[in-house]
Amino acid sequence: MITNEQIDSYIKKIPPAPKALRETLKLLNAEDLVKAARAAQEDKALSSYLKVLVNKPIYGFRTEVREVSQIFGILGVSRSQQAVYSYMATLLSPSKWVLFKLNRVLFYNLQADLSINWQKILLHLDIKDRDILSSISLLPASIIVSEALFCEKKKDIDILRSVNPIDLNTILQRLCGIDLFDICEMIAHTWEMPQSISEIILASSGLRPASDQQINQLGKWMHLLLFYTLSQPKYIEAELNDFIDFQIDYVEDIYKDFSILMEIS
Amino acid sequence: MRAVIKDGIGIFHPQGFLDGASSNAILSIDDIEATVAHNADMILVSLKKVIFFNRNGLDSFVKMFQKVRTSNHSTVGFCDYDTKKYDAIMRFYKEDIGFSLFKSQEIATLFSASYKNQNKNILLYNDDKSQRAAMAIELHDNGHNPIITQTLEEFNEKAHAKNAYDIIITDTFLGQMGQKVATRVTGNAIIYTVSSFLDAEIGNTFNIAYHNNSLNVGFRLFIFDAYKVVSMNIHALNFFSKLSSSGAEYNATICFVGMSWDKTPKEFQETLEDSGIMFFEQMDDILQDKELLKELGASSAANIKDKRVINKLIVTELPNFVEATVTTIEMMTNSTAAKEAAKIDKIAIKDSEGQIASSIGFYGDIDGMVILVFPTGIAKKACELLISEETDDTELILDTLAELVNIVGGKVKTLLADQNISVDITLPRTYPDINALLEIAQEKKGVQVDLSFGNDKFLFFLTR
Repeated sequence: MITNEQIDSYIKKIPPAPKALRETLKLLNAEDLVKAARAAQEDKALSSYLKVLVNKPIYGFRTEVREVSQIFGILGVSRSQQAVYSYMATLLSPSKWVLFKLNRVLFYNLQADLSINWQKILLHLDIKDRDILSSISLLPASIIVSEALFCEKKKDIDILRSVNPIDLNTILQRLCGIDLFDICEMIAHTWEMPQSISEIILASSGLRPASDQQINQLGKWMHLLLFYTLSQPKYIEAELNDFIDFQIDYVEDIYKDFSILMEIS
Repeated sequence: MRAVIKDGIGIFHPQGFLDGASSNAILSIDDIEATVAHNADMILVSLKKVIFFNRNGLDSFVKMFQKVRTSNHSTVGFCDYDTKKYDAIMRFYKEDIGFSLFKSQEIATLFSASYKNQNKNILLYNDDKSQRAAMAIELHDNGHNPIITQTLEEFNEKAHAKNAYDIIITDTFLGQMGQKVATRVTGNAIIYTVSSFLDAEIGNTFNIAYHNNSLNVGFRLFIFDAYKVVSMNIHALNFFSKLSSSGAEYNATICFVGMSWDKTPKEFQETLEDSGIMFFEQMDDILQDKELLKELGASSAANIKDKRVINKLIVTELPNFVEATVTTIEMMTNSTAAKEAAKIDKIAIKDSEGQIASSIGFYGDIDGMVILVFPTGIAKKACELLISEETDDTELILDTLAELVNIVGGKVKTLLADQNISVDITLPRTYPDINALLEIAQEKKGVQVDLSFGNDKFLFFLTR
């Protein structure tokens, strides 16, 4: 169904981060918001994405924010970096979704939902690390990779899953010995993302706990956040609820904290 | 969301958080109808991967369950939960539970009449005396050996005994059980389970399309397990008489087992016997009597060999059947499958030792049966994608082979639909050895195709 050759070919096609984007990230890293905004403006698609993203209701701005400099000013360095990484993830997204019932708007909403709640979690955990804040932006790449690898196999997947509750990650792992999160890690590597982002993403699969205790805890929070988000009706209808397996045992010890933070009752 | 259907049970697997809004998105009446259309007589929602649910979340399912029960008479409920979740559901619904709760899928299968593995030793505890009794009766009727414990102390004491029981049942509740006529295949006989009062409703609960297809694909013995029937009225009598008459042209036999005549006029038995129906006291009176089975047409294809031969229409569609098989194997193994040789004849298996088989019937615009025969090791390899761990458990391998042949059936259905040929598929059957297969297939003519993937060979046989 999916071969290692197909995965290799997919990975080879991942484009390097565009120059303007790399420059923006470099300047954000140097905490120079003004120059970073100027660099971001060079990339029309990036500036357009940032405007769409921050004007989503979940960001809670009362008036429309139009200028990239304004956006970076409001978001600050860390959240601006996270927004730019989120844009990088969209560079891989397809123009038309086949496997999942997604579209551009819904995918951006998913990114925004995850980002805002991740900020909330890090605030609760008192973590201010910029790279950790950005790590959430890579998580939706697992959805994009699934779409890319399995879109032409939708009928096969449907038949297979009508007789066995197997998830896409397990199919890939059993057929190719590599899973969606390994591929996400490779994407992070290609885009020269910080190592901590890759490690958190791998732990967030719920299948490979990290040896570093903090990374492992963050992996748990991210795994639970993903399924909290994918339990929303709009994402269930997009058929995202069961694309990977929810590892309920992995997150058990943080569930109580999570439910208080998210006011679940 | 789609259900996974196995052994007549359709299970939905939501993940994460269930509240009123998400539950409505997970399950629609269309999803349930699609599941029922695949002959599921039990519809369950698994709570295994659900970390949070509230009353609103479950209410949406419960409302849907009520509709399903009313229209399809299926058993409905939840499965795969821990004691904490079980207690929460019991607290939400207290005295008003119209659905069932099965602690695991394995326990649910014990209560499904479509389940083929019987004679399990089951230790059972429920603090409600009537529930204990109801479960024991159901389990006994389904061919198991329930051991009821009356107190928690007694249960704890017995539960510690190693290897004494195949399954232990706790935290399980039987709501209204399905009234749909459940179906299972045993050897070469189809067993229908009927219960309670048999009246005009039998016309709705009995799947006549499935029965007709079973006749078409060669089944000749149909047994009604009637241990739980209280009485039968004139409408049911007419129904069974007609069923028997319509099966006569296929030389089919209908039997009733365990029917009590305490509350049914004895003349009914004579009328039914006149229409060709036979009565037995015990299931084993039939199933353990090889001579009788042969006489009743359950171990010989002789009755049908002249009537049901492979025809041109089926042979014309052979490429679709082979393609469905080849692409399924390729999908499951990532290797290239190839056709090696083909011939029209009776099935010929060179070395029957260590081989297992699975078959699936199809019916509609065309009808017939696909049989796949594998050496056990190669079957395991072909099913590796669906088996989570290294195993030599033949039962698990056979179960997974049934899933594989089910996928082949699904693909056949899709490929034929592309050519405007409409077919439905039956439940898959498995054969733990070649003798079991030959009992039904050795006299049948069909198209035999030798297939291989990698260096491994297996056999495809298409027949009617």
